[in-house]
Amino acid sequence: MRRLAAGAGWAYLTAVYVFVIGPLVFVAAESFNSARAFPAAFAGVTFHWYRAILAHPDFFSAAWTSTLIAAISSTVATAAAFTAGYALRRRGGQESALLSTLLASPLLVPQIVISLAMLQFAGLFGLGAGLLSLVAVHTIHGLPFALRLVLTGFARFNFSLEDASFSLGAGRLTTWREVTLPLLRPNLIAGFTFCFILSFVNLPISLFLTDAQTTTLPLVMFAYIESRIDPMLAAVATVVVVVAGIATLILERYLKIRLVE
Amino acid sequence: MPELALRHVTKLFGDTVAVDDLSLDIRNGEFVCLLGPSGCGKTTTLRMIAGFETVDRGSILLDGEDITAMPPQARDIGLVFQHYALFPHMTVAQNVGYGLRMRRLPAARVAKEVAAALDLVRLGSLAARYPSQLSGGQQQRVALARALAIRPRLLLMDEPLSNLDAKLRDDMRAEIRRVQRQVGITAIFVTHDQSEAFGLADRIAIMTQGRLRQMAEPAAIYEAPANATVGAFIGQVNALSGRIVALDGEHARLGLDTGLEIAGTGRELRPGAAATSIVKQERIQLSRQQPQGENVFPCRIEAQTYLGGTISYVCRLRQETVTVAVPNNRAFERFDTGEAAFASWSSADCHIFAA
Repeated sequence: MRRLAAGAGWAYLTAVYVFVIGPLVFVAAESFNSARAFPAAFAGVTFHWYRAILAHPDFFSAAWTSTLIAAISSTVATAAAFTAGYALRRRGGQESALLSTLLASPLLVPQIVISLAMLQFAGLFGLGAGLLSLVAVHTIHGLPFALRLVLTGFARFNFSLEDASFSLGAGRLTTWREVTLPLLRPNLIAGFTFCFILSFVNLPISLFLTDAQTTTLPLVMFAYIESRIDPMLAAVATVVVVVAGIATLILERYLKIRLVE
Repeated sequence: MPELALRHVTKLFGDTVAVDDLSLDIRNGEFVCLLGPSGCGKTTTLRMIAGFETVDRGSILLDGEDITAMPPQARDIGLVFQHYALFPHMTVAQNVGYGLRMRRLPAARVAKEVAAALDLVRLGSLAARYPSQLSGGQQQRVALARALAIRPRLLLMDEPLSNLDAKLRDDMRAEIRRVQRQVGITAIFVTHDQSEAFGLADRIAIMTQGRLRQMAEPAAIYEAPANATVGAFIGQVNALSGRIVALDGEHARLGLDTGLEIAGTGRELRPGAAATSIVKQERIQLSRQQPQGENVFPCRIEAQTYLGGTISYVCRLRQETVTVAVPNNRAFERFDTGEAAFASWSSADCHIFAA
């Protein structure tokens, strides 16, 4: 009986790894496939598709735009999550529960709808599609995730540490710099990184907000698939996965932050 | 001039009055304990003095200066918290030096003051440790050193011993008093523990339900409670209620429904009015021989509890029950449960308060 349970446990674990890691391995393998179609049976090993990326400057400019949007929106979302989380935890009470639900509400709206709504909303201020609207929509999208991670940190934060700091002569900003932020640093970095990755790979929230100069990497990849399908896309995806993977490893190793628990 | 003065200080939380028209003076160099049950407003009072809570009415004066509206960081008041509140990401030395760095003292001066503060609490050798590497008692010493390092005008302590075990608590109590005397600082110590307050304070301020009930030296609080609230709260007591049947100055006789008549002392009593007599458990004598004097009542031992230093007897006097604490000492008689005896107490130990 116990062996059966252990066997079922292993089978479950194996299935999880196969279905989570499997597609990534498949994509990575295809990026080295010398066959012309995608997906296709493995014909031989080539680095041709990685060289082919170099001939597409639009991928590079889109990757830069995506990095810029991800960096700015994650910074703003994490800062907003910190101040919101601070207020929610320091005040507590009924209205806080309501407010925290409200701040999580972007999760409930289909992303493509958020994108369309942002286009119309930005129009009210004379803004159209473009970098500013993209940053705004990515910030809104990241905020609930950053807030979750920051609130986890505040749940363990003892606010009498702030009182101690005040009584020793520190003002509010100094107290944040010396006490609150250092102690929440792991959560803030985790929140920032999570937002960054979510922003970098997200397709639908950008859909209506790109213009001729400003487009994101997932959108360029999507446009590329629409015209033709070859393993170069697999090569681009592999690069993204490897870069994100390395960033996560660095964070976990050197900052002792667990993004995946 | 009093060091700290509270003038009609009132604090409301919604409709609840947390602190109600509280006025008191604390003298320079004095050690005062705010003593009361939980929820009596003592911690709120401390937080108002520290500046963490706003004052709804009244004012707080420190050395004659009105600090009611001053932010906490400008008050120069040292605080020791119940859960220590040491900065976990800083070493002991960085914790103790924090307030000095905030005052922008040069690094050499900070190091010197930190060493002096740690010597004061006998923790010099642990300066490089982090709080998580220290025992509870050591953390509390660091918290004390950190509060004193800024050379505050006033030292506030919020139940600082409640997280320590009993033996350590006694040691820390003595340590706190030694350090306070050595520095000569005015200190306010909040506690719900009577023995802590009696062991530490020059004067005790008793608070219940947001009000100050009595402020006096420990012996005066114990021997001459100002009102029924203090009388019932301090020590282990027996309270018996009835009506005043005779009154001569401060000497009164209280008639109980059960027919017992008790002699005691009290002020502002009226003949015929309802009143309560309060006598402490250890002020009642038990004996087999009938003693001479007032308040001598035959009784029967109903139950007893062996408490180590004392033996607690539950005695029945007609329909009344009183608890008597007898020292566990050969000089005092021992009784069996069910045995008959005489309970007696002096009228001077029996305080009568109007109900």
